[in-house]
Amino acid sequence: MHPNNTKKRQADFQVIARWVGEGERVLDLGCGRGILLEYLQQTKGVYGVGVDINFDGIRSCVKRGVPAYQGDAHQMLASFQDNAFDRVIFSRTVEQFEDPDATLQEGLRVGKRVTVGFVNHAYWKNRVHTAVFGRRILNEVYPQPWYASLPDNPFSVAEFEDYCKEKHIHIGNKVYLAGNWRDERKLLPNVLAGYAIYDLSR
Amino acid sequence: MNDSEQAVTISAEGEVGIVEAQDFVARTRFEFESGGSIPELRLRYETYGHLNAARNNAILICHALTGDHHCAGVYSMEERKQGWWNFMVGPGKPINTSEYFVICTNALGGCQGSSGPGSINPETGQPYHLDFPKLTVRDMVRAQALLLDALGIERLHAVVGGSMGGMQTLQWAIDYPQRVGRYIALACGARHTAQAIAFNDTGRQAIMTDPGWQLGNYPTDAGPVQGMAVARMMAHITYLSDVGMESKFGRRRRCSAQEHFDVEFEVESYLRYQGQSFVTRFDANSYLYLTKALDRFDLHSPESLDATLSAVTAPGLVVGFTSDWLYPPQGNRELVEALLRLGKDASYAELEMDYGHDSFLVRAPKLYQLMRNFLQR
Repeated sequence: MHPNNTKKRQADFQVIARWVGEGERVLDLGCGRGILLEYLQQTKGVYGVGVDINFDGIRSCVKRGVPAYQGDAHQMLASFQDNAFDRVIFSRTVEQFEDPDATLQEGLRVGKRVTVGFVNHAYWKNRVHTAVFGRRILNEVYPQPWYASLPDNPFSVAEFEDYCKEKHIHIGNKVYLAGNWRDERKLLPNVLAGYAIYDLSR
Repeated sequence: MNDSEQAVTISAEGEVGIVEAQDFVARTRFEFESGGSIPELRLRYETYGHLNAARNNAILICHALTGDHHCAGVYSMEERKQGWWNFMVGPGKPINTSEYFVICTNALGGCQGSSGPGSINPETGQPYHLDFPKLTVRDMVRAQALLLDALGIERLHAVVGGSMGGMQTLQWAIDYPQRVGRYIALACGARHTAQAIAFNDTGRQAIMTDPGWQLGNYPTDAGPVQGMAVARMMAHITYLSDVGMESKFGRRRRCSAQEHFDVEFEVESYLRYQGQSFVTRFDANSYLYLTKALDRFDLHSPESLDATLSAVTAPGLVVGFTSDWLYPPQGNRELVEALLRLGKDASYAELEMDYGHDSFLVRAPKLYQLMRNFLQR
């Protein structure tokens, strides 16, 4: 699901790394090949654990020296005690959970802080595309047609912030990235942000 | 393809070739965890590859319940049957003997040359039979450690094993953290499920109710052959999977069946053959001792799984197989969940294969790549 462009694929790495403290315990749910955790190991000396359902991802993690667990994120979270990790990271994975609320709540139980990064579905280009063509957008971020995509539950910046408010989840830091997923944007995020990253806690 | 390329291809993967078993004999009393002891310890083992000058490239392979120390190569050019993990162990193979010095021992309590209930007690000149002390996985591992002492290997690059071998591997990581560089445990678990114990006991009952068993005192050339064969047939079913058996045998018939209860289906023929050939190569009392050791193996005791695993320091890799219903993925996962709770370096991978518990013994390029990656990092 991640774009082919490396820079875009790793758009949230810099921001996440900024929020991660030295030597923290980090759990990355949907770790893929373990590139973020390897980066955090090298730059922050973290104890990082990756979780992914994909065998090839786990194999790459093993090669990188990143401890990794192949399995379901929600089930794996249940095996941990409260506050077992300093940070739980959901980088472009919340969209694919069966029960996003339950998994996020588990993340907030197991992690002292939770980082969520996601593609803003209400980004203006997405809106224009749907309004004009009446079809799902096909681009670098959504590379596959509907019939070749994993079940996906896209949401917007506004919807996510409503959710946090309703569930009394505290938003510490937040960063909105422009359509290029590089430059930070502050104005009208629900329209102008292509990607959003939140630092949450209870 | 030019000549140089061909040479590379050939050298990429080779065979360990002709190998020879060796015997390690420690002529001091070996004390068992249960309190019993034997006057001397014997372990039969094989090695492949070369121990380097720093003596830090050794990998110990632990075999499964009815496996043995012969995991790679052949004993002579005439012999067609290779060691049980031949595709895994050899020059350029996942456990690369060009790089590592590989050791595989026949487990303590076994019957292929190591001290076990069928071996001769030097004090009496008779087989131990049931006088052999109660055996645990920890005893097996301690015996291997004595062999390593004798070979001058202080620290292993890795310990690797599947099933019972996986349990030994875990025990190594727990009991000798300073001697284990890393470990790979395949198709195993922290303890037997009720179902696994049930199958083992049914097998033991088949043996012990066979009149040939004679309370364990059968002569070397006879014994509870029927009970052993039935035990093996049943156990063998637990090593396969429903899907795997269906695709291998289905309802295929043999045409030779004459009488009502003759071998009719291919699966019957296969299992009866497995049962019969097992009798000739395995000792009934060893089977009883080893299965009992496995049933009693329990990393949740004495306190908790987390408490037991807290001693581990080495990075570990645990691999489960989706169709394994004897040591199901859940039991493998549980180990890694506990290790990660403790902040250890541990990974869990799961392979989708139809071969049931025996999946780890089957050619699987994905598994090779994973193990290679882990051993080399």
